[in-house]
Amino acid sequence: MTTASASGPVPGHSGRVASGAATVTAADLSLRFGGTRALDGVSLRLGHGVTGLLGPNGAGKTTLLRVLATAVPPDGGRVTALGHDPGTASGRLALRRTLGYLPQNPGFHPDFTAFDFVDYVAILKELTDRAARLREVRRVLEAVNLSDVRGKRLKRLSGGMRQRVALAAALVGDPGFLVLDEPTVGLDPEQRMHFRELIAQAGEGRTVLLSTHQTEDVAMLCHRVVVLDRGHVRFEGAPAELTARAAGRVWSSTERDPSARAGWRTGTGAFRNVGDPPKGADLLEPSLEDGYLLVLDGDGDGDGDDAAVAV
Amino acid sequence: MTWHVAEDDLRLYAQGELAPPLLWSADAHLTGCAPCRARLAAAADPVALDDAWERLDAELDAPRPSPVERLLVRLGVADHTARLLAATPVLRRSWLLSVLFLLVMTVLAVRVADQPTLFLVLAPLLPLTGVALSYGPSLDPTYEMAVVAPLHGFRLLMIRTVAVLTAGLVCDGAATLALPGYGLPALAWLLPALALTGTGLALSTRLGPVLAPALVGVGWLALLTVAKIQTQAHGTLAPFTAVGQAAAAGVAVLAALLLYQGRDRFDARPLGGFHDGGVV
Repeated sequence: MTTASASGPVPGHSGRVASGAATVTAADLSLRFGGTRALDGVSLRLGHGVTGLLGPNGAGKTTLLRVLATAVPPDGGRVTALGHDPGTASGRLALRRTLGYLPQNPGFHPDFTAFDFVDYVAILKELTDRAARLREVRRVLEAVNLSDVRGKRLKRLSGGMRQRVALAAALVGDPGFLVLDEPTVGLDPEQRMHFRELIAQAGEGRTVLLSTHQTEDVAMLCHRVVVLDRGHVRFEGAPAELTARAAGRVWSSTERDPSARAGWRTGTGAFRNVGDPPKGADLLEPSLEDGYLLVLDGDGDGDGDDAAVAV
Repeated sequence: MTWHVAEDDLRLYAQGELAPPLLWSADAHLTGCAPCRARLAAAADPVALDDAWERLDAELDAPRPSPVERLLVRLGVADHTARLLAATPVLRRSWLLSVLFLLVMTVLAVRVADQPTLFLVLAPLLPLTGVALSYGPSLDPTYEMAVVAPLHGFRLLMIRTVAVLTAGLVCDGAATLALPGYGLPALAWLLPALALTGTGLALSTRLGPVLAPALVGVGWLALLTVAKIQTQAHGTLAPFTAVGQAAAAGVAVLAALLLYQGRDRFDARPLGGFHDGGVV
């Protein structure tokens, strides 16, 4: 790793942290594998509460989360999390002791029960004292409302329940930094709503980074949002600021407006267009999704490009 | 009730110092035995007793460990280590049955051909394969969680390696007992097995958990092919001669040293990538 400063404002970005000081900073992270630059000069600052990481497939979200969670070292740049530098062996160990990580595809040993699995992760987190460990496993299973199915084998649980088991495992040891990689993918709307409540609770008093495709997740959960696209940070700020990017740039029409950067038919049958509206257009209240689309289309913090947005 | 918790065990239980499996027995008994609960109350101070009840509550929440875990604990393995081993993919029954089947077939073939070479060739590959399949992203579904856990990657690897190696060596040893006619030479697989396994592990931080043991396995077969070409019809292949055995011992020691020297690499980056094809 290089030794870029992690304490000052992140170059090219606002450096604003909504609630208190930065607890996690990344400066100029880069990572290449094969011929692809998965991360290309990524800098960001996280504080307490839930920060959403938005981006299309292939944006580099999972890679960024893996770097921040110490699963993969970056080729360049520097991370400081909760005062620890994972670039050193002692800093990496110290960070891992206060880290909760829910990977995109959390694997399970199918013959384990929910309790066994969380217990196994607790052992990986060095909770070897049996009595203390069992208390902790019970606590986190209660926190995700799974006490009733603790003895069921994982292969017999629904996808939503398995995700909650994985979240419980991430919560073992009361981590100060929680990294969640698309935890709501594959859940039905009711399960998603329930999971959001759990994440909101988990965000109280700790730093949570939540990767998601869904702007809804960000709108409902996050005090801050980072948009990543092709290894670059395109936006970093409050969700309201991202929404504000689309103020005066969303309009309704009866047919798809060819001048729009993106347009789609809504439930009313009318088209919702995003871009530079024609004179006299019927302007609509912008949403977070509109701001996100515009940022992906090159209206980001300065280094966006003009790639077309597929909708 | 045909028995009651012994006074000493009850005291240790109240102090939170009773270890499994006695702890499990005490837990199970106390839930159904009012006299023992009363003795426990008398033996403990109120704070310690509250702790004990809380612990009992948590124990009752915990599902009964699997038979493998219970066996390991009875053999003296710490309960948390037993759980780590229970999560080792190749210690599952299906793997062990496959190994046993393969060995039985090999022993039968050796008896028919009246030549132990096939067994000596195959036996070292089983521990190598077993250890290779006990860690890394290809067969361990929780690999990504384990990588970011504070438990040192090398320690987890060694716990699993010792268990898998022991299981592999016991299987090979049992097969050797089925070939009593060949005497000590039938044990000539042991040192090559240790050498191959150690070399595969030592190379895995550079070549990944699949390529390293695969290359080592292929190297072993190539070595035997060359030895076969250079040996007369019924002569002993070079790796199974005294010199070959000494060389295998040397390689095993060297591999162990290299492995220990490179132990921190297991912690710094994942071996070979993740099961979704993610970056390394």
